[in-house]
Amino acid sequence: MNDEMNIGELLADQVDKLFSREVTRERLIAVEQGRFDTGLWQNLDDMGICLALAPESAGGVGLTWQEAEPALRIAGSWAAPVPLAETMVAAWAMGHAGMDLPGAPMAVAGEVFQLGENSPDSGVRVSGASAVTPWITVCDHLLVLARNDRESRLCLLHRHDITVEDIETIARLPGGRVDVANAEPLASAVLPNTLSSALGELGLLPLLACVRTVQMAGLIDRLLELCVDYGNTREQFGRPIGRFQAIQHMIADLAGQSAAARVAGLYACRQIDKGAIEQGATVAKARIGPAATRGAEIAHQVFGAIGFTDEHILHYYSRRLWQWRSEAGSEHWWAERLGQQVLARGGSALWPSITDPKPTTVE
Amino acid sequence: MTITFNPLELPDSLSSLRREVRDFLNEVDRDWSGWKVGHSWTGFDRDFTRAVAERGWIGMTWPRRYGGGERSHLERFVVVEEMLAAGAPLGAHWFGDRQSGPLLLRLGTEQQRERFLPAIARGEASFCIGLSEPNAGSDLASLKARATPADGGWRLNGAKIWTTNGHLCDFMIGLFRTGGGEDKARHQGLSQFLIDMQSSGINVRPIRDLTGEAHFNEIFFDDVFVPADMLVGQEGDGWRQATSELAFERSQPDRFMSCFPVLPELIDEIRAVRGDDRLARREIGHTVADLIILREMSLSVLGELAEGQAPAQEAALVKDLGNTHEQTYPNLVNGLLDAPATIDTGNRLSELQGILTQTVPSFSLRGGTREILRGIIAKGLGLK
Repeated sequence: MNDEMNIGELLADQVDKLFSREVTRERLIAVEQGRFDTGLWQNLDDMGICLALAPESAGGVGLTWQEAEPALRIAGSWAAPVPLAETMVAAWAMGHAGMDLPGAPMAVAGEVFQLGENSPDSGVRVSGASAVTPWITVCDHLLVLARNDRESRLCLLHRHDITVEDIETIARLPGGRVDVANAEPLASAVLPNTLSSALGELGLLPLLACVRTVQMAGLIDRLLELCVDYGNTREQFGRPIGRFQAIQHMIADLAGQSAAARVAGLYACRQIDKGAIEQGATVAKARIGPAATRGAEIAHQVFGAIGFTDEHILHYYSRRLWQWRSEAGSEHWWAERLGQQVLARGGSALWPSITDPKPTTVE
Repeated sequence: MTITFNPLELPDSLSSLRREVRDFLNEVDRDWSGWKVGHSWTGFDRDFTRAVAERGWIGMTWPRRYGGGERSHLERFVVVEEMLAAGAPLGAHWFGDRQSGPLLLRLGTEQQRERFLPAIARGEASFCIGLSEPNAGSDLASLKARATPADGGWRLNGAKIWTTNGHLCDFMIGLFRTGGGEDKARHQGLSQFLIDMQSSGINVRPIRDLTGEAHFNEIFFDDVFVPADMLVGQEGDGWRQATSELAFERSQPDRFMSCFPVLPELIDEIRAVRGDDRLARREIGHTVADLIILREMSLSVLGELAEGQAPAQEAALVKDLGNTHEQTYPNLVNGLLDAPATIDTGNRLSELQGILTQTVPSFSLRGGTREILRGIIAKGLGLK
């Protein structure tokens, strides 16, 4: 198998080794108290994974999304308490727009911002708001996509130039509500046409939905692993609970959700590679939601009262699942969008739209 | 435990085949009622099967010398999913094409292949599968029907049950006990036989099901003679032979598309009578997303199979998820339309809803119950 490992799998393997060693309960707690894990970030930076998706022209590795998917999923499976996914998304987009990368963790806003009417004197100006921007409270940089009637620009903003209000989330990870009023970005670039049309009207949101899906698939994998292990070790009525058919069937159900989740995440990544970014995100985020809901429900049922305690690791996974289910568009929001498109096209167009979705290619 | 779903991309080169199948279906499609379409791949229509055969779409992947088309599994997938999307009546060739043919190709004698494979591919030989018995359902290894050696062959005695389309088929591949059967050796001593359904001593009793129709049967064997050369594979190896193809049987689109034809009808009806409000959008969106991911999973298993792997766990997962998916359709229709509580003859949607509401419970029973599948999955996960 080893000689068959591609670069994506090698990277995932490295990420797995790092996080399995470094992500302790203490560090998860520290991040939930609002501290940025500089040490862990440094490890990732040394590994070069933050630039995995950035094109080689921007000093990146130039992996496809499909190749990067295992590393992102594994990072998700360890509940990695760092803005790795956001930074990878930002590096990919900025690299494709020809922007220099700041070499620092970045937050990304899913909302499309407004671009002021830039003139030679005023330069580029950005306004807008974002309800939930994970990591912005501990990152210096925020990437947004801003538009006016004429163009779409990627704009890199500095935290000092925007207003950030603390928010509370189920995941308890650092994050804030962002308000940007006529701010001048540190850097900006007009989106190339192919990237602009591949992203579509939703801007960066589908990319965030994609990485959330992949991270969630990792978390559901982790739930499955924990449940199998607990089923084989926890004894009641004189035998491991995993011998009870009721438990076996719940865990088998969880395995189905985990498999579907993984396929959904990979599907979203493959669609980005094919230029059908929104299509991938829509389907994947709509599917991962129910998988996360059912997965967390089963894991908590299997673990019983101990899994409901603060002391147990389970809630670091389940709370992220509940949080991420709603972030970057909930499954219901995306399903509504998909349903609207399907209904607008009519019954006879349904099957052809499943077999032949129409993509655009990103160069 | 490793559950693997590597992506498989259907190449663009298959789009001309897809168009061919769609054109073909558009020509024959017109006379099918909603009730008929609702029977999907179990619907039995020899004329249709012969027309499909004329196009070379039965036994597509088999060698030419046995009447096959030497085409890829991906090409077959395209044909199958197009047929299922249209709710085409595939029953007269489905089991031969999917199960019996491949079994004979793998384990049959040269004589068996030459006799049966071209006949299946021409749409002239319909096959049914004889597995379950009145007292051996999910616990299949407890089956009792017996084959005893006789002069020049075997004598079959016992009964098979739930044999889909057994009353209409020409041949059965049946699993019979030729030995073993003691507690420790339940999976040993089982053998597969090719049985001519016209043989004397076979008595087929159609079982009326809850739809009021008879799709499956109880089949009695009273000293039925089977010539020695109709044993399939090795005597006593029948369990392994019969179960080794399950990854294919359990993972393909027939496990999640049985209700698909109602979906376009539902969409058009929503547009016509209620407008696409948010509830409708959300429900339809979830269903379509689920379907797309299942299709990806099914393709992935196909890729593994085409490479000679036996992804039994993955296939069981696809069937469990797939059956659960297809079983939601009647309630989806009910939840989005205030349709009258009648089956209106001539109204395609109403007929489809009428038949599907009644048949969906069988989806998670046929081909391995949900509980059997989950047992297999749990075992594969390492739960002891």
